[in-house]
Amino acid sequence: MSKNREWIVLCLIVLLSMIVSACAPAATPAPPPAAPKAAEPTKAPEPTKAPEPTKAPEPTKAPEPTKAPEPTKAPEPTKAPEPTKAPAPVADTTVFGAKLPTDAAPYNMQTWVEPCDIKGNHITFDFQVQVYQRFCLGDLFQDQLVNLDKDFNVIPNSAEKWEVSKDGLTWTFYIKKGLQWSDGTPLTAQDYEATFRYLPDPKHAWDFAWFYAGVLKNWDEIVAGEKPTTELGVKAVDDYTLQFTTKVPWPAFPAMMQFGFGLSKKQMEKYGPLYNSKVETSLSSGPFKLAKLEPGKTIELVANDKYKGFRPPKLQKLTAVYMDMSTAFAAFQNKEIDHLGYEAISPADMDIIQKDPVLSKNYFPHFGDFRTDYLVMDTYNKPFNDINVRKAFAKAVDRESIVKNVLTPIKGMPAYAFLMPGYPASDKERKLKDLQNYDCKAAKDLLAKAGYLDGKGFPKLEMWLRNEGPAWQAVFQAVAASISSCLGVQIDVSNKDYKVYMDALNAKPTKLTFGAVSYGMDFLDPSNMLGIWLSTGRHSWKNDQFDKLVKDASSLTADPAKRMQMFMDAEKILVDDVGGIFIDHRWAGDLFQPYILGDCFRKPDSIGVAAWHWGNDWCWGDFYVSKDVMNVKTYRNK
Amino acid sequence: MARYLVGRLLSLVFVLFVVSLITFTLMRSVPGGPFDEGKQRLPDAAKANILRKYGLDQPIHVQYVKYMWSALHLDFGIPYQVPTETVTSLIAKTWFITFQVGMMTVTLAFGTGILLGAIAAYRRGSWIDTGVTFLSMLGTTLPNFVVALWLILGFAYGLKILPSGGWNEPNDWLIPGVFSKNWVLPVLAYALLPMAVVARYTRASIVDALQSDYVRTARAKGLRDRSILTRHVLKNAAIPMVTALGPIIPDLITGSIFIEAVFRIPGLGKYFVTSTFNRDYPMIMALILLIALLWGVTYIITDLAYVALDPRVRLGGTMK
Repeated sequence: MSKNREWIVLCLIVLLSMIVSACAPAATPAPPPAAPKAAEPTKAPEPTKAPEPTKAPEPTKAPEPTKAPEPTKAPEPTKAPEPTKAPAPVADTTVFGAKLPTDAAPYNMQTWVEPCDIKGNHITFDFQVQVYQRFCLGDLFQDQLVNLDKDFNVIPNSAEKWEVSKDGLTWTFYIKKGLQWSDGTPLTAQDYEATFRYLPDPKHAWDFAWFYAGVLKNWDEIVAGEKPTTELGVKAVDDYTLQFTTKVPWPAFPAMMQFGFGLSKKQMEKYGPLYNSKVETSLSSGPFKLAKLEPGKTIELVANDKYKGFRPPKLQKLTAVYMDMSTAFAAFQNKEIDHLGYEAISPADMDIIQKDPVLSKNYFPHFGDFRTDYLVMDTYNKPFNDINVRKAFAKAVDRESIVKNVLTPIKGMPAYAFLMPGYPASDKERKLKDLQNYDCKAAKDLLAKAGYLDGKGFPKLEMWLRNEGPAWQAVFQAVAASISSCLGVQIDVSNKDYKVYMDALNAKPTKLTFGAVSYGMDFLDPSNMLGIWLSTGRHSWKNDQFDKLVKDASSLTADPAKRMQMFMDAEKILVDDVGGIFIDHRWAGDLFQPYILGDCFRKPDSIGVAAWHWGNDWCWGDFYVSKDVMNVKTYRNK
Repeated sequence: MARYLVGRLLSLVFVLFVVSLITFTLMRSVPGGPFDEGKQRLPDAAKANILRKYGLDQPIHVQYVKYMWSALHLDFGIPYQVPTETVTSLIAKTWFITFQVGMMTVTLAFGTGILLGAIAAYRRGSWIDTGVTFLSMLGTTLPNFVVALWLILGFAYGLKILPSGGWNEPNDWLIPGVFSKNWVLPVLAYALLPMAVVARYTRASIVDALQSDYVRTARAKGLRDRSILTRHVLKNAAIPMVTALGPIIPDLITGSIFIEAVFRIPGLGKYFVTSTFNRDYPMIMALILLIALLWGVTYIITDLAYVALDPRVRLGGTMK
């Protein structure tokens, strides 16, 4: 080819590609998503002094764990009259035919938008499929067997009552009659049986397979592939009776049924367990059903008109908009989203919230999952195999100062034990405080006793962090500095990738000498929180007396008071033997737009805390949008 | 020419093979796996089940051979992050959008960059030149996610004339099917850096060409500036530019996680980051091979362009 022709061909290619790129085709026709619209600012707030933020609640009463099953009364749901056919949408009536509250906006404005992390790894809506890979607005397509009220008591949900056998090994749950799927077919105990059998299936490879280990009969054997799934201690005695058999007596079992969701047996058999990840095959027995799923863009749920459970929603539509979480607070201020969890609120944002008269009244702190931050050590090897070294480190951390100045009281409280005051069997009166309290002189003496006078000869340490954000990095840096300055030891802080961290921590023997980590509860019973410190768990610490106390107490049915005392004694051992150095307990919180109402979070619980508590899934039947939204420019009225 | 091309393509295949080997070794030597153990420790049997599900229980060389055999059949497996799709369909779907963003950015960056650079070169020393140089410096130093956030705060939340995010949203078409308001801010933020780089290179190359003897001769002959520009300067300036700026294109068309995350664009960019964090091995491998392929092809094209532009250069890089 002559050089001219080559030149021409090259130019044509460049030109062609520019033309192709300019003619970007339109998006595939899809129903318009609730595209968040720019909003007008609300009226300038009065220039009065910003009121005090909701004070961290004083935990005076410990929420009691479930005693022998006497289910408390379920919170009053909006009574839904039986519609003969689907009622035409009326402005003040929900799709269930119930009247909206008098201060509510019209039904077509009863919508809710929340942010979803665009970097999230999501494949399913259902806890029973994969826990760590759930879409935002997950677990709304089924009602679990029980739920929790504001005081963390277990209340009926799809199970109307339950009882336990004399030997404590058999639990019978009675499923409410009349519950149904969104295609009209009834919800039965067989759905639950099929779901529970799916959990330990080796082919399923559930990522939460530790949850029922040692609890449900034959769970461990089935997970290991030694027994078929039909041998699991779950049986549908009849259409509305579900029976569980546990390996040992397990009084905390009803509390664990907070995760007792039942997928549709029919859909699982026909389309596989991921049936909810496609609109065409999705089936719901919960308050909402799937309307649109565009991962990376948007998720839309609408009220399930066939829902017969106890939390029929006043909201008509839920939307999750994928966004970078660093932009979420700005989107909230721009009224593009209605709710923001505390994890997405940076310290700078929290500052703005606390100083703003409107925002500060709409931020509701609460216990969350009773999460405790602590330092973990390899106590099987030097230098932490010496109790004096561990005690020295524990007493070298000035928790009060760090929480007050670095973390700020709205985000946490100092921790001197593992269980957050308010949790069952927790040290409410702070009797254990002296064991790990800040006492630099005592710390120095203990380190000297261990043979490292003034830190001389002490190996340089690297404190690993588990992919913490800037706020927690600051906290742990402060902790490291506190220890270094008191004891004269050298500590470098290193923020590691999440999986690298957990891989090192969970390895047996552990590869993590010294690190910072947190744990939040899975269900409200000390057998859960204290159970993670058993020597078979993820920590490299062993105390036979602790192991025995916790194991025995977990299975003790006869004497609830004695059970709690055993847990408290076990915790004392944990704190005294410094299995971990406890830094702080976290305050979770939710930020709502002022026009989002609902007694479930705006009215206080029995100790005076008004918030959307962990486990209060019935709140989805309580939320509604008030009339005030009509005076404000949000995404609803563009 | 044909023989040369075939030779280059074969060597590209070899490069891809080496890249795949290195990638595979690297990603498998990083601790952790495509499962989460954030809470309590998984029982050993449960962990074995998970590894078996992902095909990670077999010896490593077996896994590699299995993967490469399917890859040769253009089957790159199923991404762990989206098990309902295949890697190929996922990349096709998301890259389609990223490619649009990328090509618009290339057009804007190169178009404006070359124009500004040429003007600055011709008006060397003037305030235009100073202005362009200053803008170039800004563009090179400001991170694109900072610029993106400023643009959102200014135009979307402040002036409220542009949307804060999304791509080809039904409500944001200015001229349906032809121009969307969604395109403005992301492309602007993304194009700033390459525009700056292109402008600088253009200016330098043209200044260099303008000072050469043949331009002085052409001026002495009486040729107008415009003829000199089109007939001599551009072609000569293009030679170093093509080599230096060509590789920007594959970089841009594979997307930026920052731009896509901040502007909520459902493209390919985020998978580069999330695949690594989530240890999505099939996806990581496919993405790396894609990048290697694009860069390899770009280098072939720039080498051919070099020959086209400079008749003194023979295919293979030697001079006539």
